[in-house]
Amino acid sequence: MKTVITLNINGDRYEVAVNPWRTLNEVLREDLKLTGTKLGCGTGDCGACTVLVDGKSVSSCLTLAIELEGREITTIEGLAPNSEELHPIQESFINKGAIQCGYCTPGMIMSTAHLLKQNPRPTEAEIRAGLSGNLCRCTGYNKIVDAIKDAAEKMSSSSD
Amino acid sequence: MSLPKFSYLAPDTLEEACRLLAAHQGKIKIKAGGTDLLVRMSARAFKPDYVLALGKVAGLDHITFDPRTGLRLGAMAKLADVVDHPAVREHYPMLARAAKATATVQIRNMGTVMGNICNASPSADNIPTLMVREASVIALAATGEREIPLAEFFLGPGKTALQPTEIATEIRVPVPEAGSGVSYQKISPRSKVDIAAVNVAAFLLLDGERRCRQARLCLGAVGPTPLRAPRTEDFLVGKELRPEVLEEAGELAAGEATPISDVRASKEYRRLMVAILTKRALVEAHNQALHH
Amino acid sequence: MSKNFSVVGQSLPRADARIKAVGAAQYADDIILPGMLYGKLLRSPVAHARILNIDVSQAKKLPGVKCVITGDDTLKIKFGNWRLVPESQDEYPLAVDKVRFIGDEVAAVAAIDKDIAEEALSLIKVEYEELPGVFSVEEAMAEGAPVIHELNPNNISLQRKIDYGDLDKAFAECDLILDNEFKVHAVSHAYMEPCACVAEYDHNGRLTVWTSTQTPYFVQCLLAKTLGMRENDIRVIKPFVGGGFGGKMELRKWEFCAAFMARQTGRPVKFTLTRAEELATGRRRHPMSIRSKVGFKKDGTLVAKEFTAYLDGGAYNSMGPTAAFLCGNFGGMLYRYPNYRYNGYHVYTNKPPAGAMRGFGAPQALFVAETQMNMAAEQLGIDPLDIRLKNAMETGDEIPGVATISSCGFKESLLKVAEMTNWREKRRQLGKGKGIGIGCYSFISGGVFNWFNTQYNFTRAEVRAFDDGTVHLLTMASDIGQGCDTVLRQILAEELGLKMEDIRLTAADTAVTPQADLGTWGSRVTLMAGNAVRKAAQEIKDQLYKVVSLKFDLNVIHDLDCRDGMVFAKNRPDRGIPFGEAVRLAQRANRGEPIIGYGSYTPRGKGLVTPAFSFGAQVAEVTVDMETGAITVDEMNTAHDCGTPINPMSVEGQLEGSVHMGLGYALCEQFIMKGGKTLTATFLDYKIPCAEDMPPGKSVHVETYEPDGPFGAKEAGEGLVSPTAPAIADAVYHATGYRCTELPITPEKILRGLGKL
Repeated sequence: MKTVITLNINGDRYEVAVNPWRTLNEVLREDLKLTGTKLGCGTGDCGACTVLVDGKSVSSCLTLAIELEGREITTIEGLAPNSEELHPIQESFINKGAIQCGYCTPGMIMSTAHLLKQNPRPTEAEIRAGLSGNLCRCTGYNKIVDAIKDAAEKMSSSSD
Repeated sequence: MSLPKFSYLAPDTLEEACRLLAAHQGKIKIKAGGTDLLVRMSARAFKPDYVLALGKVAGLDHITFDPRTGLRLGAMAKLADVVDHPAVREHYPMLARAAKATATVQIRNMGTVMGNICNASPSADNIPTLMVREASVIALAATGEREIPLAEFFLGPGKTALQPTEIATEIRVPVPEAGSGVSYQKISPRSKVDIAAVNVAAFLLLDGERRCRQARLCLGAVGPTPLRAPRTEDFLVGKELRPEVLEEAGELAAGEATPISDVRASKEYRRLMVAILTKRALVEAHNQALHH
Repeated sequence: MSKNFSVVGQSLPRADARIKAVGAAQYADDIILPGMLYGKLLRSPVAHARILNIDVSQAKKLPGVKCVITGDDTLKIKFGNWRLVPESQDEYPLAVDKVRFIGDEVAAVAAIDKDIAEEALSLIKVEYEELPGVFSVEEAMAEGAPVIHELNPNNISLQRKIDYGDLDKAFAECDLILDNEFKVHAVSHAYMEPCACVAEYDHNGRLTVWTSTQTPYFVQCLLAKTLGMRENDIRVIKPFVGGGFGGKMELRKWEFCAAFMARQTGRPVKFTLTRAEELATGRRRHPMSIRSKVGFKKDGTLVAKEFTAYLDGGAYNSMGPTAAFLCGNFGGMLYRYPNYRYNGYHVYTNKPPAGAMRGFGAPQALFVAETQMNMAAEQLGIDPLDIRLKNAMETGDEIPGVATISSCGFKESLLKVAEMTNWREKRRQLGKGKGIGIGCYSFISGGVFNWFNTQYNFTRAEVRAFDDGTVHLLTMASDIGQGCDTVLRQILAEELGLKMEDIRLTAADTAVTPQADLGTWGSRVTLMAGNAVRKAAQEIKDQLYKVVSLKFDLNVIHDLDCRDGMVFAKNRPDRGIPFGEAVRLAQRANRGEPIIGYGSYTPRGKGLVTPAFSFGAQVAEVTVDMETGAITVDEMNTAHDCGTPINPMSVEGQLEGSVHMGLGYALCEQFIMKGGKTLTATFLDYKIPCAEDMPPGKSVHVETYEPDGPFGAKEAGEGLVSPTAPAIADAVYHATGYRCTELPITPEKILRGLGKL
């Protein structure tokens, strides 16, 4: 039996009827057509489906939508303030060549958002450890690490 | 693959949870973080009719430390919160190390220490350190509560001493004794982010002359459950950790392991690694004990 | 050579980075159409069996199921990429009579949602008569082995030969002969985007298919053949693609099923693979059993090589014929081998088919070649660097009957990487758990051999110019993440003197973009599509130069140029007008006809293999824990010659990605199988390197100018997947004394090799 729940996603409230076995990833992609969040494995290993729930990174493929009533969900679509401006992490990913095929990118960026919230000035080792749940097959990660360093610098200097 | 169909039960109280569990015995799975349960369900390894989620039960995510009674981890305490908890870091640094060695950032934000224990995987990161610290699990049923020592908790891969009507609500870890030290060693040779091919925890309590007054070892991923190594432990008692003692302890521990070959390692490699990791764990535990 | 470029050579951000960064880029699975059905494939649970009966009646009765098909519903037309050799086309769209590996597609359903589609699969009853299977080339070639395809009673589907010089005589003159056996394993492309496609029927005889592919044209042609339709009644569109690495360059069963079922039901049909399907049944790099005999003179001069490879092709040919061919070419490349013989055998086994994968025969051939160079250097007492310098190819060298090397920066790469890593000193001094090792490569810039048997040019571009100063580039070149949408824009912007933002690009849509392009594989796009774009741009310029010459009444001796948005006389920049104005005048001068340029490229007179070769050298430094055998790659440094990089940042990105894939091949990626069943079908069990596993390292582009490439460019980033494994293997040998001849290099093998296990 479906349950009607209200999800708070990127500041908007969506009312959806879900079966209990419906994952957040399915609700985002199929019901709400917020397809920026990807699905790469379905087992929580690749991180392409990463979103923030109450500011923390989680795998949307292993999260039941029914459990998210009242929680604050942020997806890649909710990161940039508007279509003109980008979030500094997005800017850095673009400028530093951290994006190739782009399929891991939304998840990488959401993991970065979580990382920099927890640790605004991470060392390179901390950045790499912070990406433990995000696989990329194109870049070899180095330019992603560069982008995260760049974003951390911009974000912490602007908040100083 | 999508998840199989199930009915979702999310009680507000433990009493209600116990009632539901008893009512649907054999057809129900308990969900804490869900990071393991949902993976197995989507692979159709489990097809429960009911999923009993503990997320709405208040007060299950506590992490508390009392210098007289020790550490208590609620069933819903997340791995990430255990890693970051100041009391855990101060008094149980190896628990924090093991929690941090578990899976990935996202999984640690979702998964719980209790879930890792109750899945009863022989390679679980969080079991060995808790085992050598002589932790116990509180099991609650409608009929009452009991405390199960971790040493008696694991019956086989995926099998625990929990009754079908019981919910594991809390992990209790005794106060670290002065002069004791613990180490957690893990080898996953393919990647920095991987399930352990072998893991070992060691606990040592030293006497005034740096001899082992107590020794406990737990060997992971080398048997159907995480294994204590009683012969090695007995051997160590009363001894100083000289190189030849370490060597022999490593060999003894390897002899107590009963590994199999799988996608991560062969049984021969695992057995050898038990010896190596045991030695490394003993050395570190010894150092910890000296500084504690 | 003039290096006075404005756009070429710039490390510009990718043109599609922004849309990807905000999550707005649409990949195939992101497409949701009204009334769309969800498709699922039923796969064989057994490795080798005759199909006795398939009963779909219960599945069809399930409410919400709209279509169920088996091989019997299809035209039963075999297909494959090797259209030039029709008997090599050995796959049916859905199994007919037999299944040949665990995962072979047997039936498909389309239903109103995924849950129903999955339930319907469980209601299809297939009766199999199991047959004995073969799971290695040795088993497959054994006397009396079970036959997988009737056409090939010995399970060898084809043999390739290369032979030049006088081998027997040459070996007789050698001072040192190495004769070694090697085994290399299968690995997955592991692109992050699982394959997906959506097909839509227009109720008027035509289909549109959006699919995650590297080769829209192949899909179009082979769909037409298998569906019994005309090619141009099928439109294939490549949306954003989340990586391919060779794994998405054939017609796949789900593309056929989506198209067939969309036509049948009149509703759009989507298929999306799970990661488990990808890993357990998907294409992979060919495992090979290799024997290589190589002979040297005392001074290290290479004299002869006899190279024999048995490719474990799995159940179907797939791209195996090309792999068998190229493996032999790569075995004789890089160094001067005056006498060379190659025999390659493509062998069927009851495993998921191997196909094209990054490097395409090179990682295997070069693991062997480079390891033997290191062995020979040791036995002859020569530094591995020097033995390479002695035999390295140079510009102008010929591979007999195969190719001429028109640009080569191999020696420079060797010297550069040695300097970057302090090679000579470290090679002498390191030891006991620390090691330094070298591996090298050469690679192709696209293929010459027309196995797809296209009647079109290999690639083609159309450029439309407008009076607002913009141009529109149309090309079927397929960006799958490697960045050709950016690089082709850079080439066009350079040629026309425009800015990146002046260029609109439409790519990879078979109904709109010019016929044809063979797709993205073999590192062909930058060179081939780049040349086509330049030629199209030149046609535009010819039209504009006429009117500018007329307007300024230029003397015939003037050269004209396009730069900074202007069209002008080269030595009289004042005599020029803005690009858009020139377009307007040119249109006026020709009664409104649009200003369009076409360009195409097909390699001719470039030998049998490729128009251009790239080269490089890589040095690995490792630490091995002598107790556990655990390997840490401390550094990975590279110097390579990719001609002139069009976008250096993009080249670096490709290179770093190559190191990642090479590292996985060397150390941690492996399909573990039992009786044809894959035991490593998740990313937990099939381990690709994570961010913490990646070593630091620098890379240097040794610039050359490739005369056949656009602005001097040639291959970058594919060949580099090859040197990593031999370099690490050599470093591990240097550190421990264990020489790996069977990939991957694992701690267990090291300890066993050292007698510790």
